[in-house]
Amino acid sequence: MKSAQTLNLSPNLGPSKPILKTFWVKPFLERLSALARKYGLLLIFLFIWELSGRANLVDQTIVPSLSTSLSSVVEMWNHIHLGLHIMASLGRVIIGLIIGLVVAVPLAFILGRLLPNVAAKVDALLRVFGLINPYCLFPVFVIFFGLGETPKIAVLAWVSVWPIYFSAQTACRNVDPQLLKTARSMNCGAWAIFFRVTLPATIPAIFNGVRIGVEMSFFILIAAEMTGATAGLGWIVHNAGASYQTVRIYGAGICVVLLGVLINRFLLVIKRAFLSFSEALSPSWLQNAKADHKPISKTTGYVWLIVFVVLMVFGFYQVFKAENLLLDATLTPDYRIWNK
Amino acid sequence: MKFCRKYFCVLAFLLLWEALTRLGFLDALFFPPFSVVIESIIHLFKIGTLGPHISASLSRALSGFALATIVGVPLGLLLGGFYKSLNDVLELPLEVFSQINPFLLFHILILFMGLGESPKIAIVAWTCLWPTLFSSFNGAAQVNPGLIKSGRAFGLRRLALIRKIVWPAAAPTVFTGIRLSLGYSLFMLIAAEMMGASSGLGFLVIRSQEAFQLDRVYASVVVIAFLGLILDGLLFILGRKFLSLSLENYLNVVIE
Repeated sequence: MKSAQTLNLSPNLGPSKPILKTFWVKPFLERLSALARKYGLLLIFLFIWELSGRANLVDQTIVPSLSTSLSSVVEMWNHIHLGLHIMASLGRVIIGLIIGLVVAVPLAFILGRLLPNVAAKVDALLRVFGLINPYCLFPVFVIFFGLGETPKIAVLAWVSVWPIYFSAQTACRNVDPQLLKTARSMNCGAWAIFFRVTLPATIPAIFNGVRIGVEMSFFILIAAEMTGATAGLGWIVHNAGASYQTVRIYGAGICVVLLGVLINRFLLVIKRAFLSFSEALSPSWLQNAKADHKPISKTTGYVWLIVFVVLMVFGFYQVFKAENLLLDATLTPDYRIWNK
Repeated sequence: MKFCRKYFCVLAFLLLWEALTRLGFLDALFFPPFSVVIESIIHLFKIGTLGPHISASLSRALSGFALATIVGVPLGLLLGGFYKSLNDVLELPLEVFSQINPFLLFHILILFMGLGESPKIAIVAWTCLWPTLFSSFNGAAQVNPGLIKSGRAFGLRRLALIRKIVWPAAAPTVFTGIRLSLGYSLFMLIAAEMMGASSGLGFLVIRSQEAFQLDRVYASVVVIAFLGLILDGLLFILGRKFLSLSLENYLNVVIE
């Protein structure tokens, strides 16, 4: 018996190279192939983009190569304060979203739980409002709020109010009655039921609404900035398009795509870290709907959250400073800040 | 009567609008009364302006939507249901491409396709493609594997498996994406027409705004909302016929 065991073990106790091979090489290759599968297609696409520019397969003025577009990102960062434009765009989305949340969530709770009869009556009107194109409301909002930031933020708020309201209202109407009964039988007061049962049951739905709202806001933001703005990524694109600087369109496009992917990932991390208790899935038309099932640690969620908040605060501070500078620049005719 | 009760609030809102402007609480220059808006819709119809604009917008929106559906649904079903090894490969590129903003694309597409109809149809199709593709993908990926196994056990081939099991199981989810993308199609088209077009409802909005004919702005907003409602209703009829959805299910289908 003993001898057989030693016999069996003997190949493993041999020289270190085969062990290394079994321990490292195969998993390493596997990891490499997984990485290649994950990033391969994108890299090939970027490679072809770069190569077609280098080899003059397509007109450089229409499709500048990847490296040219990336260098234009750097150029814009140095010369027209790209960071401030990104923050201006992001700030509009976030303020619109906050307004949307502040309006939609209490409304959904009041109508969904306290006044279900009124909710049934108002439903048709609100659905019609949800169908109204926010972009045609732009002229109306301009009449209401004047030019400047407010109509843009109003459009974004309008876009994000409806998905948040409808998903929150549906969810808080459909809270599991068993849970409510259990809470009541434990002699919970109305507030305790609200904070311990209704709210946690609704938060995932609110979050889904937020994800849709962010997506729609990003779509509409670029368009809104194209029509009347003096800052933001949409303005850069519009300006570049009007002055035939195609490179800048691509550079700003890269920023928009990266920003969109990052925000999508950020929201997914938050969902997986803090909301994995719920069985509610992400909306099926969003990418990554199946990744919801894999919870991650709350620490990771907090790290992402803190990094996000710090970046936002820093960015908004910079925008604030730049606005004050601009104000000075317009008061004293010194336009150095414009063409540095 | 049932209709009145259901749309009581809509009617009340319109009456309130009318009353507030007629009584002078709101400036009639900025908020023309609803009756004036309706009058201007009828007037626009009579002088033959509105009809061509509506047909231009509708043909663009529907052709873009149709293009996206024809490409998106089969592609999503195939990727989600059958070629699962392709998932890993395509996940990141699809995520990145779905973030490419249609309005950025608009500027670039104009360089390729020139002005005219094709860039507008292309951006509508681009916008509509993603909800359709992802929802068909997720719908097919979430089909109960037990059903597929038993289908295989009964000797169904690939096409029969799609037709008899994957499609019926995924259809409601696919339908969610289709409904959402129909909504997006008008949404994006109006914006695109406001940015650069010489016909269509978005163009009507922007031109009336520039000419300070606010009754016409409101008229086009009302027409656009109404068109959206009609298209949504038509899709509901289709859904009820083919997927036996109830109205309650249908209204909540997007926000489920």
